[in-house]
Amino acid sequence: MDEKKLIDGADYITLEDAKRLKLPYFEQVAAGFPSPAADYQHESLDMNEKFVHHPEASYFVRVKGESMTGVGILDGDICLADRQEEIADGNIVVAFVNGGLTVKILDTSTKEQGFLRLLPANPAYPPIIIDANDQFILQGKVTSVHRDTRKY
Amino acid sequence: MYAIVDCDNCYVSCERVFRPDLNGKPVVVLSINDGCVVARSNEAKALGIKAGLPYYQLKERFPNGEITVFSSNYELYGDITDRVMSLVRKASPTFYRYSIDEGFCDLSGMEHLDLKRWGEDLSAFIWKATRMPVSIGIAPTKTLAKMASHYAKHYPGFKHCCYIDTDERRQKALEQYDIEEVWGIGRRYAARLQSLGVKTALDFASHPESWVRAMLNNVVAIRTWKELNAIDCIPMEDMSKKKSICTSRSFPGMVTDLTALRTSISNFAARCAEKLRKQQSVAQTVCVFIDTNHFREDLPQYWNMGEERLLTPTNSTQQIVQTATRCMERIFRQGYHYKRAGVIAMGISPDTGIQTNFIDYDAERHEKLKRLDEVLDKVNREYGSETLVLGSQQYTKPEGKGKADVFRNSIKHDFRSPCYTTRWSDIPEAE
Repeated sequence: MDEKKLIDGADYITLEDAKRLKLPYFEQVAAGFPSPAADYQHESLDMNEKFVHHPEASYFVRVKGESMTGVGILDGDICLADRQEEIADGNIVVAFVNGGLTVKILDTSTKEQGFLRLLPANPAYPPIIIDANDQFILQGKVTSVHRDTRKY
Repeated sequence: MYAIVDCDNCYVSCERVFRPDLNGKPVVVLSINDGCVVARSNEAKALGIKAGLPYYQLKERFPNGEITVFSSNYELYGDITDRVMSLVRKASPTFYRYSIDEGFCDLSGMEHLDLKRWGEDLSAFIWKATRMPVSIGIAPTKTLAKMASHYAKHYPGFKHCCYIDTDERRQKALEQYDIEEVWGIGRRYAARLQSLGVKTALDFASHPESWVRAMLNNVVAIRTWKELNAIDCIPMEDMSKKKSICTSRSFPGMVTDLTALRTSISNFAARCAEKLRKQQSVAQTVCVFIDTNHFREDLPQYWNMGEERLLTPTNSTQQIVQTATRCMERIFRQGYHYKRAGVIAMGISPDTGIQTNFIDYDAERHEKLKRLDEVLDKVNREYGSETLVLGSQQYTKPEGKGKADVFRNSIKHDFRSPCYTTRWSDIPEAE
């Protein structure tokens, strides 16, 4: 299908097109001579291509608190959550629990007993027990964690 | 076969994406400036809340917060619906977005598939990936597909997808469809048809074409008649090519002075330029219209439109704002109360291969403006729209001192949700 035409046709740019992040590509320019590297020139590496597997289904959340430090998710980190990824026991998930969002490890091993657990990765925090009386809606699987390390 | 994918209660559903606690509860979205109700959840509709209900009346009827109210947040709706439409585009060979909340697919070549199942699966997938409920109508023509999507939306038995695949189904769908609701039949034609005894889409479709020609003699009406009779005649291109970009608003109060109107026109023009850049295109002509309030019959009425053709097509904020301001100043007349104004960018073409005009084309200046716009877009993307604006876009503060208010602050939006997916400062927090 004619992608370019769609864009010209006025109202459609895909998320990938619009949000592609380009990192600089360095090339020495030799005036007068065509660069021998030109044939090997490649698209710059794209962070989104590496980390955002389902752009339409992904969104960012900012982590508050220390409950997940054991798996390297710190206060202030930005997690990418993906609603399209299949979620299984043991995954790090974002869930809407009783009015607020939380990032935890999903534990379905107690399912037979009629409840689920959301496990923190920090012994100082208690697990969250979810039973039929709780408002519990999974909001996606955490697929990557991002931190600005310039402050270190 | 065509499919139309239509977001259910679009704006309300966007608000629910990051507020799943609001599923099943009455929710409304207000118009720009918090004037009246523009979108309602099914629960709000069931409470008898009509579209267009002024907010102060809603507050009187439901004083205890029984209904969750949001100011419109087009930044959020734009992003969520872009996601939905992107998924639809990936699921079909040819896709044309028709409006913020609906798009058409041409399913030619997919007829051998179980299209009903395709639609059900697509709807379920879009819900999973984006949390947007969509209804899908599939039929041999776009008008019938639109009708099918209506059935998909209102009858849960269809599992969000209604497929008009046989003539028997088509007849049945037409029979239960109000003529007023038919896509392409305006309110005026509906009234005329009703007076002629045409109540349903079937009544209309059953008349011979010669009757339609004699009674309505209107190209769109005849096309609609054909489409209802399963004759495909609206070309896909008609659905998608946006030949112009328009930004217009009704003012909260009425505007009488040139300075205030100039500020609004600057903002509308800046918005048009931004939209042009977003879709990588340029405009050849800038057009401005201003209008008084037709409901105030006690006041003098005035309407006018001014346009200017640019020598070289552009998408530069500065150039489009300057041109729009010139157009406006030519048509502005003192002594009227203006209620509505807008800027339209026309003659749109891709920004690659611009036909330059040697009389006015200055490559250096062009490069400079381009760099300026890049910075403008980058800052506004990163820190929220209208963080960086032209001086002419700033509104005078209500207290009359200084020029330091931007458009978004000059309109009311007391109940606006965060821009969860488009601003770093607004992304949701999780503990």
